Amino acid sequence: MDAYEEHASPQQIIRAVSRLLEGGGIGVLITIISGSENVGAKLLVEQSGEVTGSLDNADLRNAAISQAKLFLDSRQEAKTIAVQEFAPQLQSDELLLFEWIRPEPRMVICGAGHVGAALATISALTGYHVTLIDDRSEFLKREKFPQPNVELLVAENWTDAVRKAIGDGHGVAVAVVTRGHNEDEECMRAVVPVNPDYVGLIGSKRRTTIVIDRLRGAGATPEQLQKIHAPIGLDIGAVSPEEVAIAILAEVICERRGGKGGSLSAWRRARS
Amino acid sequence: MSTIPQSDLYRLIGEATARGERVVVATVAHTRGSTPQQRGAKMLFFQNGEVAGTVGGGCIEAEVWAEAREAMRLGKSALHHFSLTAEEASEEGMVCGGTMDIFVELIRP
Repeated sequence: MDAYEEHASPQQIIRAVSRLLEGGGIGVLITIISGSENVGAKLLVEQSGEVTGSLDNADLRNAAISQAKLFLDSRQEAKTIAVQEFAPQLQSDELLLFEWIRPEPRMVICGAGHVGAALATISALTGYHVTLIDDRSEFLKREKFPQPNVELLVAENWTDAVRKAIGDGHGVAVAVVTRGHNEDEECMRAVVPVNPDYVGLIGSKRRTTIVIDRLRGAGATPEQLQKIHAPIGLDIGAVSPEEVAIAILAEVICERRGGKGGSLSAWRRARS
Repeated sequence: MSTIPQSDLYRLIGEATARGERVVVATVAHTRGSTPQQRGAKMLFFQNGEVAGTVGGGCIEAEVWAEAREAMRLGKSALHHFSLTAEEASEEGMVCGGTMDIFVELIRP
């Protein structure tokens, strides 16, 4: 247990949240929203383990920190939880609001062909900050991608462009959908060691198996290879490039939100 | 008005408090039924009357606006319960018909 001495004010904690977001970090912000003399008191629990702020007392603070770890696994954006629910021994009537703090989701798309272009458009619509990469500048015309949250990146060489776009990989989904297998492989070699939240590679089972075997040969670890979604996308029977883009985005959302990818109505048919 | 990135929200709050101004932050803490915004959505109210972000369309926003003004004036943070019956919703032409708990919070400089 760390020392209970930090008495950061709400505005100090808000500045700590800003710093965390700027650095691409992840955490949970906990606020007392009801039942206490300290309504508005805040606690920032970072995924790294760092904690800023205080609640009513050390017992509540420690219980809230434990609960924050469970909340991070739940993948909900925000949740109000009664202290009674997770720490009944404290005999408190307080309500705590738990909120995810994390960078805006980013989508890095390698390849601006039909699938890549469609994926850029629908990802931007869905609220992702998009970086669309191609080595053919004529495929990255601004008039085709008018959304302000689509960044167009002409690759002098794929490896450098991909590394630049992914950064440290936090909050980043990468879809590798270039025009050719050599380009796909070059992108994958640059992506896999960075370990972004999601990596997908387009292609048949056979082709993607060849690329994965080559990555293994180049030193990728079993854990890294296990994370690769290849062939990319959920099985929705997609045929057209736009449908394939939807299948890819659906899989990315599924990973991010912890979905199962099935039909929400399956229970109804199973019952009858 | 639309949702704005989390990083922008916290930056805006930080900038306002650094200028010595109060900011009221409304956060969707809990929802039941069909509501126009998800939990965690935020709307900021600045001392000069400007706003940023949204906690939902016209159906609830006006009431939140009034609570925000009260919080700004009285300097108190509180959890408020807003309900929108199906009848009210249809009158407003909105698709929402649930209830929302919104934490209206004053951040001091």
